[in-house]
Amino acid sequence: MSTFAPSSTAEQQTLAQDRQSFFDAQRRNRRASWRLSALCVLAAAVMGIPLALLITPLLYALALIIADIVNLFSPLPLAFWQQAEEVARFGFVALAWLLQHKAADPRALALGAAVLLLPGTVLSLAVWFGMRALFRRAGVGGALLALNAREPNQNELKELRLADVVQEMAIAAGLPAPRVMLVDAPGANVAAIGSSPADACLVVSRPMIDELSRDELEGALAHSIASIGNGDLHIAFQVIAVFETCGVLLALVNSPFGPQSRGSLWRIVRYGFIGSRTGQDNTKEADAVAAILSRSVALDTDDIDRFFDPTAKKSMLRSIRNFLFFPIFLTNFAIKLSLWFFFLVILGPSVALLWRTRQYLADACAVQLTRNPNGLAGALQKLTDDGGAIPGSGWASHLFLINPASAGRAASNAPIPQQKEMLLKAWAASAQHSTAAGRLSGPTDFESNLREAAATYRAAFAGDAQAVARIGAMRQAMSALDPALAASIPDPADLAAARKGDIAAIARLQAFRRHIASQPPGASQQQTRNDADPSSGISSISFFGFHPSLKRRLKRLRRMGARLNVAAADSKMWIVATVLSLILAPFVLLIAGLMLLLIAVLTMSSLTFLTVWLAFIHKIFAFVAHH
Amino acid sequence: MQMSPGLVGMFVLVAVLIWVVASFNKLVVQRTRVQNAWAEIDVQLKRRHDLIPNLVEAVRGYMEHERVTLESVTQARAQALAAGKNVRQRSDAEAALTAALGKFFAVAENYPQLRAVESVQLLQEQLTSTENRIAYARQFYNDEVMDYNAARSTFPRNLFAGLLGFSPSAMFTAADADRANVQVKA
Repeated sequence: MSTFAPSSTAEQQTLAQDRQSFFDAQRRNRRASWRLSALCVLAAAVMGIPLALLITPLLYALALIIADIVNLFSPLPLAFWQQAEEVARFGFVALAWLLQHKAADPRALALGAAVLLLPGTVLSLAVWFGMRALFRRAGVGGALLALNAREPNQNELKELRLADVVQEMAIAAGLPAPRVMLVDAPGANVAAIGSSPADACLVVSRPMIDELSRDELEGALAHSIASIGNGDLHIAFQVIAVFETCGVLLALVNSPFGPQSRGSLWRIVRYGFIGSRTGQDNTKEADAVAAILSRSVALDTDDIDRFFDPTAKKSMLRSIRNFLFFPIFLTNFAIKLSLWFFFLVILGPSVALLWRTRQYLADACAVQLTRNPNGLAGALQKLTDDGGAIPGSGWASHLFLINPASAGRAASNAPIPQQKEMLLKAWAASAQHSTAAGRLSGPTDFESNLREAAATYRAAFAGDAQAVARIGAMRQAMSALDPALAASIPDPADLAAARKGDIAAIARLQAFRRHIASQPPGASQQQTRNDADPSSGISSISFFGFHPSLKRRLKRLRRMGARLNVAAADSKMWIVATVLSLILAPFVLLIAGLMLLLIAVLTMSSLTFLTVWLAFIHKIFAFVAHH
Repeated sequence: MQMSPGLVGMFVLVAVLIWVVASFNKLVVQRTRVQNAWAEIDVQLKRRHDLIPNLVEAVRGYMEHERVTLESVTQARAQALAAGKNVRQRSDAEAALTAALGKFFAVAENYPQLRAVESVQLLQEQLTSTENRIAYARQFYNDEVMDYNAARSTFPRNLFAGLLGFSPSAMFTAADADRANVQVKA
């Protein structure tokens, strides 16, 4: 327990001149986060312009085709077509002004800009409001509860202490105490999830309470609770809503091409209708949908690549189809490229900077709550040494106290080929325990089998007896082939029991974790890998991470009075970094300029193609209607 | 457009009125938070009173020779319960209880077999946590009082805060018995 720390003893360091009270630090970080939120809003607005410019023509195309079809059956009045032409002319005036610097009447120009931008903007904003309304109740990070989370057991000393410390920190912050969920993960880490202080939840990994002292635990949890009190959950939610909006727009553009985007759209619709059913599943589903949507923002293969697969067999029908959809393909590519570029260069870094400032702010608030900067500093050091790896946390990694993906342990756990083969054999051998006969004829490559195994594992966590039996059979088959490898797979029965609060099972899992930690790298295998790619989180779309570096955090904590031995920054390294960045800056700027040019060219050509294509289709309709 | 002086005066008056109403409401909210923080301290003190009989019951068998220490804890609790509403008496009684508990934990350090008993460990953790909660509740109360007092005594709010009945709140200060640092081991 820490009361007001006597500050006189902490002052052996020569930092007296830039010492700072935590109130000052809070004020400074609050101001900084205001500035950065303004920057984020600006970045989103800048990103919206090319997006609106690309989506608007598609909306017009859709409207024109519908009008043509209607016209075919019941001819529309001439006045309608005249009106449409009038609207189109304004758009052309604006385009001519932009491209050929043709002088134009300002009023016509404004109307033209409205014609070109407004429909896309309105659609984007509508989707954004819809997403916010749809997912508001679910908040952020619900998927973390799928990681075999359980309530702390009040009859076990360490878990009781965890629950107590959370209560203490909530009292110190004057907040309702958040729910606590324990996760049996290899790394020590903590995350705050939820939508508001009233329904927030702390996800704590079990090593956290094994490795940290009471003071350090107080510091780490004070950070998370202060972050809840500062409204960081709200900020995270707004950021994710932007991602979801972009994902939905992409899915809408892609929906004529393939099942994947149609599937994600269908999932949103289903969530919207069934979402009224409250509970954990609800928040999990919301997070899963958010992860799917944001993954589509990243540049990766999807429906549209499969649709225009150049390696596919050539046929007449396929060529006609490709010709018909080509303008949309171009638009789709332009949208994707501009989204990717603007996320990576403008919006991502702004959001990352904002989020870092929020972390500094939460650090300063944590010092106010505990009046003990040493606790948080010690916790940060220990957690960073540990790595804080939480498998399956990829999508929500920004919600954690330290970056859960930064650990080298996850990489060193990748199985060597020999082990892969053995795992495959064991998995196939255990398949006879599964009643589903179809599984035997399943794919034989390692990745898909791993996914299958992970799914079974999750089912085993949830208490599915059949899945538990299958994993047990696999462990038996493994121990015949390679006992060391078999020992690296946790017993699902224990996990399920630990979830119910069985102390003996918890102890066995702890022993198991220690065993894994003592193994040389490469000897164990990460069985419970999430099917979501760890690099698909929102932190993957920014140049730099969402977590401030340990050194900077410790420096600030030291200014607030923490007694630490932080190695002084190497001045030579600093000079090298400055020179390097000065040399690289022109190149980076050049590349960015070229990218912008490419996006502009793509936008224009997609507009042109779409216009030609529309004129062609319109003529066909006119021809058919004439006869 | 020419604005008459009367119109300008009216605008200024309305602006001032809006500001006064806003700061009045702000002060009311802050005062309520201070009262709430005060009540939270009581909640935690009550929790401590409820826990003590369990603890005494759990350790009685192991600490036959420390009857005096246990008696003093029980007595201090009874006095704290009996102190009633008088703030001065109550805070004295609570301080005495804190001191008695501190002494009890110091003595309990001499009983290794006691520290090994799981139920006692759990109880001790709960009591440690309760002591912390009381301290944090007081800290939160003081933070709130600081905000509230700063808000009501800065210019120009200090001109009318007193008139509207916003009296300054008192910070919680440790009694002399509390200043002697009580060691509570987790």
